Amino acid sequence: MNTLTPIRTGPAKTSWFRPVAALLVTAVFFLPLYLVLANVFKPGADITAHPVSLPIPPTLASVKAVLTRPDHLFWYGLVNSVEVTAISITVLTIVSAMLGHYLARAKGVMPKAALAILLSGLMIPPSVILEPVTDVLRNLGLMTTVPGLVLVNVGYYVPFGVFVFMGFVKTIPIELEEAASLDGAGRFRTFWQVVFPLLRPASASVLIFLGVWVWNDFLNPLIILGPETGTTVTVGIYRAIGEHQSDFGAVFALMFLATLPILVFYLAFQRHFVKGLTGGATKG
Amino acid sequence: MSTTLAPPPRGETTQRPGGAPSRRRSTRLPKALHFLTFGAPGLAVYLVFVLVPIAMAVGTSLTNRNPANPPTKWVGFLNYTRLFSDDDFLKSLQNTLVITVIVTVVANVGGLAIAMLLDRRGKLYNALRAVFFTPVILSSVVVSVIWQAILSDDGLLDSMLRSLGVKHPPGWLSNPDYALYSVAFIITWQMLGFCVVVYLAGLQGVPQELMEAAELDGAGPAARFTNVTWPMLAPALTINTVMLLITGFKAYDQVQVITNGGPGNGTTSTVAFDVVQTTFTGNHIGYGSAMAVVMLAIIAVVSTVVLRVLQRREITL
Repeated sequence: MNTLTPIRTGPAKTSWFRPVAALLVTAVFFLPLYLVLANVFKPGADITAHPVSLPIPPTLASVKAVLTRPDHLFWYGLVNSVEVTAISITVLTIVSAMLGHYLARAKGVMPKAALAILLSGLMIPPSVILEPVTDVLRNLGLMTTVPGLVLVNVGYYVPFGVFVFMGFVKTIPIELEEAASLDGAGRFRTFWQVVFPLLRPASASVLIFLGVWVWNDFLNPLIILGPETGTTVTVGIYRAIGEHQSDFGAVFALMFLATLPILVFYLAFQRHFVKGLTGGATKG
Repeated sequence: MSTTLAPPPRGETTQRPGGAPSRRRSTRLPKALHFLTFGAPGLAVYLVFVLVPIAMAVGTSLTNRNPANPPTKWVGFLNYTRLFSDDDFLKSLQNTLVITVIVTVVANVGGLAIAMLLDRRGKLYNALRAVFFTPVILSSVVVSVIWQAILSDDGLLDSMLRSLGVKHPPGWLSNPDYALYSVAFIITWQMLGFCVVVYLAGLQGVPQELMEAAELDGAGPAARFTNVTWPMLAPALTINTVMLLITGFKAYDQVQVITNGGPGNGTTSTVAFDVVQTTFTGNHIGYGSAMAVVMLAIIAVVSTVVLRVLQRREITL
């Protein structure tokens, strides 16, 4: 019809097309997540009978059952997960921010070589080196301990932390640091009071990604913590699948509860993190 | 350099050894101390928990180490020659490459398409973007359980197909022809949101003036994409590709939770899965270490080449 104004038809058409298409694609993508959310709040019998229906009226029976398990699987796992994750990511943020800053500013062959060796660790699958890692831990007397798992996490994720921080440090003008140094601030003061606050987006990405990865890690805690020290919530889910294969209510409720803390953590930091991840790369 | 003597600033904890009167710039740490405090801690932990284990794996791969069958003896390159005629290992290697290629290509393409669809401001688009990112936060164990409930033989998808009149719906996870692709699909679904978010950040960094200038020069939507948008997305492509390669290479959790390597003989087994099975379950630590070393060598080559290529694109921008 409107052939006289071809430039105008474009936007007019997209004005309804884009939101509808976006909603449809997202809805399809969201279905598997809906499945969990709907069935967490449904009585067990309804899950197999009406898996897709809305949970009306919603019930907290499955959630309560997980929280009051006689073996405290969820609570013990939660304590371990929080401990391992909190310590790992705090140490990692400090260590990789300082190392990233050091490598970004250092000149010479040695730092370049150190960086290359460090970044080559980015793509190593943890499961491939897990057996010798357990040998190292056994020699240090750290097998089946939380500090052992924390150290393994720090060693394995430090390349990622350095990768993110280094890209970001390069966007900070070195004149700022020189000015601080001329004003008499030492390296520590310059770093912690001038540079580190400017790295906030990078810190947010490192905290979020490593927090999520450490929290969700499955094989390392399964092997390194072992059954003696107890498990993390993620390993707990794996064990629960084996126990009650058919009881989807219990498994879904455990998955929901295990994800809730890391989801809240993500939401708290998410405002900054995309910038932290891409800010460095675009200027690096 | 100033020669005036100045008192060290308050809060400084580092002083010259021997308590020599510190000049203004002497409060800076000497080079060695700078390395020890800033550089060394991270590098030391990396050395002990990544580099030393790799060296140990290389050493062990030349032995027949097996706790169930001592003593451990030097066997030279026997494990390696055996590996390359081991059909199960070659199958795992092939599966890992198939998964890595599918995940890297599909999540990149799909992520870019969805990012362009969601590249508008407003509450609706923010909410939709959050939905796509949610699986990235989930544990792959959780994602595996969800998709198992959907794709297994008595799962949701086939029940639905049956109620629609399909007599023999495909066994997405039980049919050896489909299972590997189902696993690759599940990993892609989980990583898609990551690519969406990174591409969106890249798209929002494309200067509007550049697009308008191209439009004035008569560039259509396709030309604007290939000549303006796509080159500007080079850093986003680098981040996504690196992340997807890591994810593909280390594919383990989904295989362990969903298929346990099956159906049949290792149809979905990955190298990561094969290494863990061989060393921890089978006790063949020497042989498993050789697998690990081969995998590490492949990853070293791929990551060097890929990073070179991608970063060259960024520089020529």
